[in-house]
Amino acid sequence: MRRLEKDESLCVGCHQCEFACAEAYYKTFDPAYACIRVEDGWENGEYRSSIHICNQCGKCAEVCNTCVIQPNPKGVYMIRKKECVGCLMCVGFCPEQVMVQSDDRLEPSKCTACGICTKVCPTGAIRIVED
Amino acid sequence: MQLNHREYAGFREGITVQDVIDENKFTWPKLVVRCNGKVIWPQDYAQTVLQENDDLEVIHLLGGG
Amino acid sequence: MIHICNVERYHAPSAEELQALRESHVLLKKYDYERKPLHRGYTDKILTIDVGTKEAMIADIPAEVKEKFIGGKGYCLRYLWDAVNPQTRWDSPENEIVMSAGPIAGITQYGGTGKTLICTISPMTDIPIDSNVGGFFGPYLKFAGFDALEIRGKSDTDVVVVIDATKGTISFEEAPMEHFDAHILCEELTALYADNENDKKNIAVAAAGSAADYCNLGMLNFSFYDPRRGVTRLKQAGRGGIGRVFRNKRIKALVCKIGGVKANLNDVYDFGLINKTGLKFHREVANNDAKQNDMRGVGTAYSLRTLADYDIVPTHNFKFGDAPGIDEMTAAVFKADWLTQGAADGCWYGCSMACAKASDHFLLKTGPYKGQRVCVDGPEYESAAGLGPSCGIYNPQEVLEINFYCDTYGLDTISYGTMTAFLMECYERGILNKERTGGLDLTWGNAADDLEMMHQMARNEGFGKIAALGIHKQKEYFAKMGWGDMNEMNDFGMEQKGLEYSEYSAKESLAQQGGYGLTNKGPQHDEAWLIFMDQVNNQIPTFEDKAEALYFYPMFRTWFGLMGLCKLPWNDIVPADNALTDDPKMVPEHVENYLNLYYGVTGQKIDTKEMIRQSERVYNFQRIFNIRMGKGLRANDAIPYRSAGPVFEDEYLWREERYDTQLVELAGYTPEQVKSMSLQERMAATRKHREDQYQKLIDAVYPKRGWNMNGVPTIAHLKELGMDLPELLEIVEPLQ
Repeated sequence: MRRLEKDESLCVGCHQCEFACAEAYYKTFDPAYACIRVEDGWENGEYRSSIHICNQCGKCAEVCNTCVIQPNPKGVYMIRKKECVGCLMCVGFCPEQVMVQSDDRLEPSKCTACGICTKVCPTGAIRIVED
Repeated sequence: MQLNHREYAGFREGITVQDVIDENKFTWPKLVVRCNGKVIWPQDYAQTVLQENDDLEVIHLLGGG
Repeated sequence: MIHICNVERYHAPSAEELQALRESHVLLKKYDYERKPLHRGYTDKILTIDVGTKEAMIADIPAEVKEKFIGGKGYCLRYLWDAVNPQTRWDSPENEIVMSAGPIAGITQYGGTGKTLICTISPMTDIPIDSNVGGFFGPYLKFAGFDALEIRGKSDTDVVVVIDATKGTISFEEAPMEHFDAHILCEELTALYADNENDKKNIAVAAAGSAADYCNLGMLNFSFYDPRRGVTRLKQAGRGGIGRVFRNKRIKALVCKIGGVKANLNDVYDFGLINKTGLKFHREVANNDAKQNDMRGVGTAYSLRTLADYDIVPTHNFKFGDAPGIDEMTAAVFKADWLTQGAADGCWYGCSMACAKASDHFLLKTGPYKGQRVCVDGPEYESAAGLGPSCGIYNPQEVLEINFYCDTYGLDTISYGTMTAFLMECYERGILNKERTGGLDLTWGNAADDLEMMHQMARNEGFGKIAALGIHKQKEYFAKMGWGDMNEMNDFGMEQKGLEYSEYSAKESLAQQGGYGLTNKGPQHDEAWLIFMDQVNNQIPTFEDKAEALYFYPMFRTWFGLMGLCKLPWNDIVPADNALTDDPKMVPEHVENYLNLYYGVTGQKIDTKEMIRQSERVYNFQRIFNIRMGKGLRANDAIPYRSAGPVFEDEYLWREERYDTQLVELAGYTPEQVKSMSLQERMAATRKHREDQYQKLIDAVYPKRGWNMNGVPTIAHLKELGMDLPELLEIVEPLQ
């Protein structure tokens, strides 16, 4: 099985992972178009960062009544875009809210564990795991 | 005490919003409760003690699928 | 608990079976057509089919029809009016079945946006019936190029009409080998017309069932393919006998095939606004549904147990409101033992409310499919209450089996439930007995004989022929045979204008007595559900308040039927902060969503005032249509006393304290007087008071709706609505 994993304690909140993902798939540096989300900030004097990633839980596939989200042999859930009806239920129900919806596309997109984000992470807070 | 703009016969000292809901079998899942115009949230039903001249509303949202 | 991940896929028809079916087909006629794509939710085209002459004609929908009738129910009524005359009856060749989804229908991003409205002259009421249904046929009709479909004429042989948008053809075929019962017929036709397994979801079928050939309460199923289960499922345009008209025209099925659904086939004006509004709704459901009605877990059946706590369940033909056996039919029981969990149960794409639950691999114990395991759609609240407590039946297995056979036989579960309850009360009162029922023992709760009666209906045998009539005609028959007294049967027969009541007891809500009685098509609660506002919240105490509600809600809810919207996502889920709004029962944020959806699709900005105005034009048009067909005046808005108060002694004694108290508090008797009155006197006083209240209610409602005291829309009001059309003035002028 192949998926992204995280260690929030290593995250320094540089957001490079979000820019890399959004740029790779949507040609923009707007983090709203990334399939990874980092929320960081100072809380009562302490720096805290939470990383939201797709751990291939399959909730998107469960709510899809078109059945176009299926796991590939490595357990990575993929959307069959050609037959996706664009209903956005997967985007709405994703527990980590890391699917991307864009008005200039007819289908949403999800993390496919491609690893682009891990390559730009300066601290190794995120990495691809294959077991 | 008023319940939905009617005098509530079941009023007694120390009665809570939860008591009123149970005694009237208000089992409908979607209730909006207001006491003197202020919204009472479900988690506060049991702790909210009602007074003699309170104006309690237990509004049942529409049904009819 | 049954979870979808361990539900076996259903068996599809085998290749050999399909080959045999294909070879048995006879092509009668085929037309090619140029599919016009949708723009801003419309194609402005109507497809007219004459199954007698096997003709298919495509015409433009005139701009003024679009402006005044908008779509959905508006288009259906407009084209039905033009086709019929005051003498037209349900089985006249010129009677039409008109169906239309509406401008918003077919978007995939918001809950409940796939509804279709269907109208015809009803075999039960002799006036137009309008019935709404989910499933894929209506939206697919739009994608095939048509805002509406009009079917006229009568075929001499059973015919299947196939609209194939992928090839641009409309064909008339004979399909002699296909079964008539819907759960098989829809499966066969879905498999037959799909290019492959993956193409099945692009096929939608409309079909009735074998009982619809003989029974006034025949309905129309709309199919949708469930790719996860591998089975074709059914939703129903239930009310008013549309299935009977469908079969009387010798239509076996309609099939619509499209090339696939995508996010923006409606070519909407503001795609971003639609996406934003839809996503907001999906997140609201994801975060709140489990804590509210749990529609994704149980569907509308959740309300059975709780409505019994308010005396609203129609137990024993609406005699009592609570139900001792109801604890066997709670949401928890349905969820734990019967309804598959974790499935994506929307009856159109993008419905995150997904309340179309199903009981998978359900073992049938009776009838022609005894011993088979089937996918049962439902039960909806209406089916559960009407087939269950209304007939004294509390066993979920029995209710699900009756529900399944109603669907596949093409019978409306609401009319079937209320009609069977009427027969059971006739049996209890000696109007019917074993000799007259051909051996059927119709005592309360006897599900076995209830099912046996239904199987007879499907075979048009024995007492099934009487059950096929529906309450209105049964009363006439029983009186003619000297079995029952007409006045007594009129008191407890729960029908008005010829249509059976849907499943809510309105005895303690004068407003809902009007919500049922002052309707266009007959007593169905889709115009107004005011029981809580009136009976519990006490929000509409005066006649003026009730009249305002019986003006506003019928108009507001008619709008859903013009647009292609399901009403459940309006208020069976609410935003977390809805309680803080100024009018929580209206769910203002959802009303705002609907205005945004209308603007997002059509590019036309409207407010709630214009929303109501759009509905009011169609609502008054339908009222005048009723007058034209002979049943649209005050006399026709009379209601059976059972819907307003206790008819017999056991009913009064069931809530004696309540009724006695009301004689003092509402009817002006002193406590001493009430104590001295006999049971009969108290019942008579209660009846007089309640019947008097209903007349006062009508006196308040009619003017509010712009009607005179005989229920006729005034010319001034029609002018104000812009509906002073010549054909309407001609009807109302002599009745002003």
